[in-house]
Amino acid sequence: MELLQYSIRKIIAGIPLIIGVTLISFLLMVYFGPDKTFDLLGKNPTAEEIAEVREQLGYNKPFVVRYAEYLRELVTFDFGRSESTGEPVTGLLARTIPVSAALSLPGFILGNLLGVLLGLLAAFYRGGAPDKFIMASAAVGMSISFLIVIIAFQIIFSSSFGLNLFPVRGWSMDTFGDYVRYVTVPTLAMVFVALGYNTRFYRSVIVEEMNRDHVRTARAFGVPPAQLYYKLILKNALIPIITRIMFSIPFVIISGSLLIEQYFGIPGVGKATYDAITTGDQPVLKAVVALTAILLVAAQLLTDILYRAVDPRVSLR
Amino acid sequence: MNRLVSLRAVCALLLFGAALLVGCGSDGRQDAADPGLRVYRHSTNGVPTSLDPVQSATAYTNMIVINVYDTLYAYKYLARPFELKTNLAAAMPEISADGLTYTVRLKPGVYFIDDPVFPDGKGREVVAEDVVYSIKRHFDPAMRPQGAWLWQGKVAGLDEWKDAGSDYEQDIEGLRALDRYTLQIKLVRPYPQLPFTLAQGYSAVVPREAVEKYGRDLALRPIGSGPFRLVSFDKTRVVMEPNQNWRWQPVDIYAEGYDEETQGFSGVAAIHGQTPPFVDRFEIDFIQDSAAMWNSFTKGNEVQITGLPVELADSVLASKRPVTLREDLAEKYHITSEIETGFVYQGINMDFPEFGYHPDPAQEKRNHALRCAMIKAFDWNARNESFYFGLGVIFPGAIPPVVPEFDPELSRDSVTRDVSGARRLLAENGWTPENLPELLYGTGSGVVYRQFFEQARAWLVEIGWPREKIILKQFATFGDLNRQWRESRLPYIGLGWGLDYPDAQNTLQLFYGPYRAPGSNLTNYNNPEYNALYEQAAVMQPSPERTEIYRRMNRILIGDCVTIIGLSRTRIPIWHREVVMHPAGGMVGGFQYPFIALSDGAGGIRQAARSAGIP
Amino acid sequence: MSTRADQLHALDDVSGHRESLWSKAVYKFRRDRAGMWSLAVVLVYMVVAIGVIFGWWATSWAELEGGKWEAPSADHWFGTNIIGQDIFDRAIYSTRTSFEVGLVVAVLATALGGVLGALAGFFSGSWIDELIIWIMGVLDSIPFILFVAAIAYSLGDTPYAMHIAMIATFWITAGRLIRGEVIKLRGQEYVEAAHAIGVPEVVIIFRHILPNTSHILLVQATITFVAAIKSEVILSFLGIGVKEGMSWGLMIAESTREVLAGFFNNFLAASALLFGLVMAFNMFSDALQDALDPRTVAGE
Repeated sequence: MELLQYSIRKIIAGIPLIIGVTLISFLLMVYFGPDKTFDLLGKNPTAEEIAEVREQLGYNKPFVVRYAEYLRELVTFDFGRSESTGEPVTGLLARTIPVSAALSLPGFILGNLLGVLLGLLAAFYRGGAPDKFIMASAAVGMSISFLIVIIAFQIIFSSSFGLNLFPVRGWSMDTFGDYVRYVTVPTLAMVFVALGYNTRFYRSVIVEEMNRDHVRTARAFGVPPAQLYYKLILKNALIPIITRIMFSIPFVIISGSLLIEQYFGIPGVGKATYDAITTGDQPVLKAVVALTAILLVAAQLLTDILYRAVDPRVSLR
Repeated sequence: MNRLVSLRAVCALLLFGAALLVGCGSDGRQDAADPGLRVYRHSTNGVPTSLDPVQSATAYTNMIVINVYDTLYAYKYLARPFELKTNLAAAMPEISADGLTYTVRLKPGVYFIDDPVFPDGKGREVVAEDVVYSIKRHFDPAMRPQGAWLWQGKVAGLDEWKDAGSDYEQDIEGLRALDRYTLQIKLVRPYPQLPFTLAQGYSAVVPREAVEKYGRDLALRPIGSGPFRLVSFDKTRVVMEPNQNWRWQPVDIYAEGYDEETQGFSGVAAIHGQTPPFVDRFEIDFIQDSAAMWNSFTKGNEVQITGLPVELADSVLASKRPVTLREDLAEKYHITSEIETGFVYQGINMDFPEFGYHPDPAQEKRNHALRCAMIKAFDWNARNESFYFGLGVIFPGAIPPVVPEFDPELSRDSVTRDVSGARRLLAENGWTPENLPELLYGTGSGVVYRQFFEQARAWLVEIGWPREKIILKQFATFGDLNRQWRESRLPYIGLGWGLDYPDAQNTLQLFYGPYRAPGSNLTNYNNPEYNALYEQAAVMQPSPERTEIYRRMNRILIGDCVTIIGLSRTRIPIWHREVVMHPAGGMVGGFQYPFIALSDGAGGIRQAARSAGIP
Repeated sequence: MSTRADQLHALDDVSGHRESLWSKAVYKFRRDRAGMWSLAVVLVYMVVAIGVIFGWWATSWAELEGGKWEAPSADHWFGTNIIGQDIFDRAIYSTRTSFEVGLVVAVLATALGGVLGALAGFFSGSWIDELIIWIMGVLDSIPFILFVAAIAYSLGDTPYAMHIAMIATFWITAGRLIRGEVIKLRGQEYVEAAHAIGVPEVVIIFRHILPNTSHILLVQATITFVAAIKSEVILSFLGIGVKEGMSWGLMIAESTREVLAGFFNNFLAASALLFGLVMAFNMFSDALQDALDPRTVAGE
């Protein structure tokens, strides 16, 4: 009951955020986004045809009216149809979001898992050779542009100039085998890029916990390392870790990875969003922005609830 | 307890990760489940936006629309120069003596594909009224049409029908179904290009009940009577299957214009006398990035045809004239080359008083010299070498080599670089680095456009233009750039034009005064003499007299120095040897799909494993 | 009740403490070999960038000097690109672009973050704080690419659209950090002392509190510098980045068409220089962070 009340309060508190995000994004797309009129016209348009198309696109309505429409669409979650393809926006999202999620999740999970493991390892040998090696590798990994990694990995793993093990591009989740074939190279690239950042982050979190007085004391008293790590360090480090992960999830799911989707030709929501940006496809953009904001509010709520699950001393205020 | 749960979760995740890393080798091909299936994988470097015929403005859309829908006419698969043939129409149109009335008879017994929109879910017969309806749609703003310009001001009563509110119950004098299978089109003035427009995706035949039921969903869910039916479509791929109920006929390659000498190498003659469909599944991958495209092509089990990326020419080709492959690649692939049905050109916007028309005749004369100097500064050969394999065909004027009216004798001065001539011209007309105007170079956002700009800027610097006066402005989207052009806000225009039909009228209109922006005359050139000749030729049937008028217009255009023109790019299709086809771009683009077959490895074509299943 | 003299003394004490933090940091940094090396590399890049600005080298980056894709030679150390421009000159010229983007964005974003963060922290709990937190939350929630693209389009005519977009998003991290720090500092004795003797709030915030967060701002600025350089590359690759001149991102974008042809010069030149700068700056940033961390002891 307490939880429910708390959740409702939290959700209401999230409304200003959602309003802010949608308002600013919509301002940007309406006043500064590309004009779609001439994309929809034939080769020798007349002034009359131009006016017709502008009317259909709603460009002539005042901003307030258009924003009110946006809010109505937000509440009913019906964003109409894509101006480019005529596909219903909800259908488009239902088609592309699972793809992006399936594409990014393995890399996201592996990247964080390996990051925690390497972070632990480095922290354990703090100042020693393994630490130096891991941190140096992390620094190198962080310094290589994502762009370069994607181009290089595709050539190395997928092309006939390299190992030629995986399909160059495309996507299929019909069978698990298909899925694995298509997701592997993008996953490797994502893990490669994320690992440096994650390792550093987790190492610093763990080191921070290790430096706490009670841990030092326990260590001085000869508590075995495994127990020390599991009981005292990891548990307390969970809060920053949860925060980092939870707040990444909306972006992992909704924004996908534009560069990966673009380069590997994967029909995810990242590519759909970018196409919508460059063609001024407002209905799609409106939906993506709204969804991201809503998920962020949800993530915030979940994070707080998870905090309490991890540490009962945290109260839900 | 808690610990157990989380440990198990960690293990599961680790196992999942391991499966990702290890499991990849064990998997077979995508179609391993049904090895008997004949799958052909095509590719294009652009994505169709909508599959609704009224929105088939791009070549990428058009090539799918004409396969899932029927058009009255089509282009012959192998004939070059391009030739029309009948498709849904039973014969070529009967044209009245005054050239104003066209009568087209449809083939009876053609059916739309099965769909719940029809009674009992069975596709109904295609009739002349459907053609009427499909063209009317272009004059109904609610349909968001893009093809009205093909018939605007030409068909009696059509524009008035639109002005009266596009009521489909209202008949139109110039566009009628005389009976179930007879269509009549009455023109207000002769329009000899009309049959060409009936071979475009714009005029593909749509059943009214489908439009009324599915509305804008039609963009994704075509209901047509074409040789293929759609299985799936998204931004990366379209999958089609042959429409088994289509009017498949044994192929007569000679009727399709087969030429043993130029096309024999491809083995396409193997389909002669055979009855399509030759494949069970027709996939088209849309791959915009050329590296990804080439990787996919050379993999072996992915796309089976591509255009050769320009950057690979040196490493892949053994020779350029003629185009031949390196020996080891020639064992696997076929290659050919074809000139595009279009060209690239740059235009100078005559609306700008610094470059174009000016109230003061003396200044206008100086501007003319300035434009001529810009043309002389442009190095078409270097552009060709850098970006088009050095294989593009450079031609003077607006009549490209691919149309029959092309004049090979025309002076090439207007496409020959002449730096000293340009400098002299500028000096004689009082142009100095101080008084040369600023040139705003608006272009798209791609890196190639930037390279175009840097190259062109360096050339202009060489004739004495100060570098800082040539300013790049990149537009993030083509829509925005196009809008600037259409609103006549940029002094310099650089773009390509794809022909709608093989007739020079289609390119000469690019400079016809009344078609000024927002029309397709983006230079806003307006020469009364040129306009009068255009109007005179527009109503003439093809003839030597008409060709002579076209050529005269071309010379006027060159003399006025409004456009830096032009280059027709050479496309180099390359395809796997197991595919039996001859690539066809240009006007044919898409009409060749029903003829594409897979080789049986012994000079014949692969028959269906389950041919018994085909009625 | 402390006397006025005590209060003034407390203020002095704080600035003395600050000085010792910095002098200790300098001492620690100089003993950090990796840090010194990375600083040297960064300085070399900076000299290169300054040379470009003053026209000492790479002046002919836009000229068509050779043929298409020439191999490296004495004239063209990294060969030429597709239209015959010198790749070495262009890569060098791009150093300037990177530095310019990095510096402008790092300085302005950190400054903005510092000011807004300090305001929010000092007035925490008030409507000012609420407003700033709301703005941070909102800007954080708009997908980055959408935001940058929208700004890049909206300010199409200015060459600084990308800078503005990055500043508008990158200040948030600094803002959050400073806000937290200021909330901590606000409760300290010397601040209360300043209050008590009637020092105006603006002066307290900007003269007494903000300088005490300078170590955080400096580290944050170096991190932002790297983030800006890396984002510039991706945005330029996507065609919504650098407008004037040349950049490594544009060179990599050019190279995606060329690696196929086995012509790697653009890719290698741009990637190597980018990697070198980012790597050095990352290490520099780390060393700085260690040096400025009061908890670490020199030589640990």
